[in-house]
Amino acid sequence: MTTLLKETLENSSIYMPTPARVIETKQFTKLEKWFKIELPSGYSIAHRPGQFLEVSILGVGEAPISVCSSPARSNGTFELCVRRVGKMTNALHGLEPGSMIGVRGPFGRGFPIERFRGKDIIFVAGGLGLAPLRSLINEVLDQRGKYGRIAILYGTRSPQEFLFQDDMKQWQERGDIEFHVTVDRPYPDWNGNIGVITTLIPRINFHARNTIAAVVGPPVMYRFVLIELLAKGIAEGNIWMSFERQMKCGVGKCGHCQMHHIYTCQKGPAFSYAEVKHLEEAFA
Amino acid sequence: MSLKILPKHLFQAWVDRLRTTHRVVAPQEQFGQYIYGEIEAGEVVNLEYPTSVLPPKKYLLPPREELFAFNAKTMDMQPIIEDIPPTIIFAVHTCDMHSLMLLDKIHSTGYTDQHYRARREKTVWVSVECMKPCMEHAFCKSMGTLSVPEQFDIHLTDLGDRYAVDIGSERGETLVTGFTGFWEPRDADYQRMNEIMAEKWKHFEYRLNFDVTELPELLASTAKTVVWDELGDLCLACGQCTKVCPTCYCFDVTDEIDLTLTNGKRVRAWDSCLIEKFAVVAGGHNFRSSRARRLRHRFMRKGKYQYEAYGLMGCVGCGRCALSCPVHITPVDTFNRLHAQRVKAEIAAQVPG
Amino acid sequence: MKPKIAFFEFTSCEGCQLTVVDSLQDHPELLDVVEIVQFREAMTEKGEDYAIAFIEGSCTRPSDEARIREIRERATYVVTLGACAHLGGINSIRNRQELENVREYVYGEKKDWFDTYPARPIGAVIKVDAEIPGCPIDKKEFVTAVTHLLQGRMPYIPDYPLCIECKLKENVCMFLRGKTCLGPITRAGCDAICPTYGDGCEGCRGLVPNGNIVSLKNALRERGMTEEQIDAKMTMFLTYQQMQTEGAAQ
Repeated sequence: MTTLLKETLENSSIYMPTPARVIETKQFTKLEKWFKIELPSGYSIAHRPGQFLEVSILGVGEAPISVCSSPARSNGTFELCVRRVGKMTNALHGLEPGSMIGVRGPFGRGFPIERFRGKDIIFVAGGLGLAPLRSLINEVLDQRGKYGRIAILYGTRSPQEFLFQDDMKQWQERGDIEFHVTVDRPYPDWNGNIGVITTLIPRINFHARNTIAAVVGPPVMYRFVLIELLAKGIAEGNIWMSFERQMKCGVGKCGHCQMHHIYTCQKGPAFSYAEVKHLEEAFA
Repeated sequence: MSLKILPKHLFQAWVDRLRTTHRVVAPQEQFGQYIYGEIEAGEVVNLEYPTSVLPPKKYLLPPREELFAFNAKTMDMQPIIEDIPPTIIFAVHTCDMHSLMLLDKIHSTGYTDQHYRARREKTVWVSVECMKPCMEHAFCKSMGTLSVPEQFDIHLTDLGDRYAVDIGSERGETLVTGFTGFWEPRDADYQRMNEIMAEKWKHFEYRLNFDVTELPELLASTAKTVVWDELGDLCLACGQCTKVCPTCYCFDVTDEIDLTLTNGKRVRAWDSCLIEKFAVVAGGHNFRSSRARRLRHRFMRKGKYQYEAYGLMGCVGCGRCALSCPVHITPVDTFNRLHAQRVKAEIAAQVPG
Repeated sequence: MKPKIAFFEFTSCEGCQLTVVDSLQDHPELLDVVEIVQFREAMTEKGEDYAIAFIEGSCTRPSDEARIREIRERATYVVTLGACAHLGGINSIRNRQELENVREYVYGEKKDWFDTYPARPIGAVIKVDAEIPGCPIDKKEFVTAVTHLLQGRMPYIPDYPLCIECKLKENVCMFLRGKTCLGPITRAGCDAICPTYGDGCEGCRGLVPNGNIVSLKNALRERGMTEEQIDAKMTMFLTYQQMQTEGAAQ
């Protein structure tokens, strides 16, 4: 078994991807589509939750996309959840099973899963942020015994925007985690929570000292979630976030993902609050 | 490694000899400015040019470069690692040699950029000792780049009727081997060299109003001053400063494909953090939507971020950005303004009441 | 199936369509990938069934509007060609003048025979899907635009200033050559053709989004241009866009 990263690095150009095949797709919402991708035989993705791939459609371009499947459930295959926002993601949405894409990576450092062991965990996902977080959530749930109490908080603008509804159902049914969902505004036929994601945080009563949080959402969400988590007394080094930047090359050269002196694609995209709180432009 | 002496009247012959085995590039005049290009004869090498429009980094990172070719239908891909002819880059100023140090570090840190490395391995760098500021905007002395760093293969010092030829590498050695015009330095040569080296420093002005080691901290403490907004109002965001900068290396990547949507190439081209879309993320948020923010980011990179990330200053004091800015935004003025601003703030903090 | 395309012109010199003809010389394979059903400049047939309409020229009289709307209704995509269609072009210089005076100046005593109104870009009359700027359009950009349309996406047009491209070519800056240039506020994409041949940019590709016009005008003043000269420079191609920002455009 060769890892995809080894292949990427052994190519004569680090910018050249490895071909991979789309084997299954599902339209999650109007804007988000899910893809299951198969690597050539003999290759494994070997990623850490929170890492991303550079995904190519030859002739259209390349875009960084987080892996949304957990390492234990990925091997020769992996999953991506893509929001249609630009030329590349538009083109990706046009792909059906059998289509070929190119992949490089996985890049970045991902979440430090070893630091989560033995701790109570709060997962906070806003919108598409559930995609990278799902990789971590399922990794944790697959080895449930290694962690303390677990809460998953998930917010979207409307019930129509829920992603990973199969996972949501499973999380709802498990007795060994807390799972709370909210939508921004009232909607017909929605009887659940209403309000932004921060309104769910006070419900979780874990011991702050032994709690670690993983937060992924749109840039504007972080400031508000941080206020709530810090107010709970969670240590700055135990609040982990994934930062969205334009990681064009993935290998610390193109400069687009720079946040202060850090190339997000290399040192991130997952950072603890302690690591970034003093950096200009870290938060929107 | 070693020092040799070359009489000036043999310089052209030496360069012409190098041209038989290498592509020799040097700055050549065009509309009052100098542009690096392949020379046709040794006699056109001008060691006293002011500065070049683009720095010699273009030989390592061309403005536009193909990364790999592909067939979109078969998914066949072929890397394009350009095999440039062995190239001697002549008359490189010491500031540009310092930028080479940073570029080398960046392209080998973490992941090696093979496109850069392939060209780097084919280039030989012949630097020159600068005797006076090459133009009004140069501030090499302030940035500590007035002496040549170890990266040189050959370093030339003008001793009047002869050159001191410092050989810094085996590659440099091969350029000297076999040409009979060199002689071993005598006491008089060493003495002349010492005189010249001692003499030259006073021709350069230290142009920052503070010690350059304070620059990263100065930028950190003035990140929110009004100076940035004022400069943002002035800045055209044309990006010329980033194009001419010897330490800028950011790039954009695009795909080009033929009309039958079959064969294409992935291409990278120099990008600029001054342009509006540079830091826009997929969701549409722009982390640097104002010109002030983008300009500040550029100066932060030059005086703070690169230093923190790689241990080397991102600015080498060449002054090209100052020369090319249509609205006269210069690093020296900007850094000095920030310094004045901080001094003012410090005094204000001391005044009671 | 090859997409059907058609070319139309309104008030213009037809130079952009000439550039299209020229690009057919360089890229004969264009005819393998699209079917041209209407192109007065190059053929006599006239089909009215098309997916992509390319429109050159600005709209300069009320009677043009119906035809422009008809094209919009028939075509899936409408793409403008060149400065006239994109910006109103040099035709909109007159928008700063009294229309009556303009008519008299141009048509003399026959002025009443001709219908006219302030020139406007096609985008002011109908929704356009993409615009290929320039006076005339750039051949390479046109071919790339067709490629993008064939890929099912909108043509990519640069949204950064010309200086970027100009410096990639290592041109000596016009300002350093004692000349003036609108490069810092003009959209790139022409490969800096005018500065490459020694002339300052006239802005034919339109203003870059959020360009710093105030600061550039000061830079031009500093280099000895009078207000009149600056206005003239900013009028050639940019009248409509400027009047738009002043809220004075039709």
